[in-house]
Amino acid sequence: MVETTRRGFLGIVSALAVLPALSAAPDMREGKRYAMLIEVDKCYGCMACVIACAAENNVPLGSFRTWIEHLVKPDGTRVFIPKQCNHCDDPPCVPPCPTGATYKTADGLVLVNDELCIGCGACVKGCPYGARYINPVKGVADKCTFCDHRLRAGLLPACVEACPTGARVFGPLHEDNELSKIVRSRPVQVLKPHTGAEPQIYYTSLPDEVNR
Amino acid sequence: MLEYYFPNEAAEPLLWHPVLFAYTLLVSGADLLILAALAYLSGSLRKAIPLMTMLGIGFFAVVLAGPLADLRSPHKAPLIFTHPHLAPTPTNPGISLTAFQATAWLIALILSIIFALLTFSYYSHQASLTSVGLRKSLYQAFSLGVTSAEKYGAVEKVAKAVAVLMLPFLTLWGVYPATLFIMQTWNPAWRSWALLPVTYFADTFVVATALFMLVYFIWRYGGLERDVVVPVLKIHAAGSLSVAALTGLQMAIWWTWSPATAEMVKPLIPLMYVVIGLLLLSFFLSLVAIRYQATIPAVSLVAMAGTFTNKWNIIVNAQLISKTGLAFFEAELGGGWLLETAAPLALGVAVFVLLSILFPLEVRESGK
Repeated sequence: MVETTRRGFLGIVSALAVLPALSAAPDMREGKRYAMLIEVDKCYGCMACVIACAAENNVPLGSFRTWIEHLVKPDGTRVFIPKQCNHCDDPPCVPPCPTGATYKTADGLVLVNDELCIGCGACVKGCPYGARYINPVKGVADKCTFCDHRLRAGLLPACVEACPTGARVFGPLHEDNELSKIVRSRPVQVLKPHTGAEPQIYYTSLPDEVNR
Repeated sequence: MLEYYFPNEAAEPLLWHPVLFAYTLLVSGADLLILAALAYLSGSLRKAIPLMTMLGIGFFAVVLAGPLADLRSPHKAPLIFTHPHLAPTPTNPGISLTAFQATAWLIALILSIIFALLTFSYYSHQASLTSVGLRKSLYQAFSLGVTSAEKYGAVEKVAKAVAVLMLPFLTLWGVYPATLFIMQTWNPAWRSWALLPVTYFADTFVVATALFMLVYFIWRYGGLERDVVVPVLKIHAAGSLSVAALTGLQMAIWWTWSPATAEMVKPLIPLMYVVIGLLLLSFFLSLVAIRYQATIPAVSLVAMAGTFTNKWNIIVNAQLISKTGLAFFEAELGGGWLLETAAPLALGVAVFVLLSILFPLEVRESGK
């Protein structure tokens, strides 16, 4: 009885601690522009990010919200390129959605409203990066959310937290942080710039072959 | 040696299934209605209008059955009408062509039904004079009280206005989903297929006229009327030749565009040759059929084989080219895909048969 009470008390205290953070989260995120930087020369293809993402987001077998491409250069050098949804500023996946299920948030995330998604696949075809798939369990379009639920709780995306070499850097683009410093001070690249999608995943040391 | 692995693209299955292929054939219903509206407005092909209208409505009414069958959450399909993405907002920039076309379908279908009711009113009255039983009652009901040529004169003005209103919506359907493929997808083959909308438009006319001629041949076997057959055959011949020429021209554009593009579209080329061959054959058979009408079924069947091949190449094979354009995957089709694909077409035929019972397809002049 005492144990139950203590557990209950701890539950209430935890909830009280988390609730203000959750309710305050949207305001705190207002005006931010979340982005990610991937330092390609730091990635050695361990797949920790892929597994962390799958575990965190219950990604079905055979589908990936993030994945790692593998390039073997003519001299035999191996390069690993992590990829995922680019949370584009001008996302080509949003206009084709017939019900408005795919949408942009004020802080730059591109998300899917499962309640509105009819599973037509128009957004999957509209994404130039192959970052979307149809979730076979839910029958709706699925993709990286930048771990929106974790951001609300003040945490980093699971893939960023899991990366053993710190190849993934995440944060608001226009604030003073590691991400914005690197983006401002070093040459960075994006995937398929010709699409005009203005992707918000920045890369350093990205091989030219990737954007063929 | 340069190697590059794209695990996510390789994992992407065939997303839009061949049931969409049935859907794009059903779009020919829109083209039949365009032909009926144009014939009505111009006063030509008068005897063909009833059959074209009812065949057109039959196919156009069920045109969304194909995509409905391809939805992963079909129970939420009504959201396209109740929650359409038709205007850009900060959270939902752009306009969805799918939502736009769904709305256009609803408007076009309602207008087509009004057009049919108005144009058939006097035909129904005339048919009721020589009918008996239930059919007489049906014809009387659908005459809408239009029992004289004078009354029909007034109705005709409204019908012409409706025909004009129908045309833009139906024309949009004639080029859909080619516009969707080009404008709102990042499939490299579709994006580089500059002539796809115009090819699609011509192609749906080929299916529409082939279908019309086949049904007309079966229905009026032994009593084909030259003033119906010959103009439709001419339209069909022009359509077949256009699609063959446009297909050849697109191949030439790809070859001259860049070596990478030519390499990417290689898997599409063999079937494009087949399409050109079949549609040229259909063109020549159409010319023969103008003189020897017994060859009409051959014209229709060859043309349909050509357009089936074309649609398969455009929808299924082009989708199998990866987003990088570097790989071509094998189609993995579930069992029963053929039946699933044929079902919406069968539904269109069923609606047409029902309409042919409810409305008289023969045009009779007053007193005859």
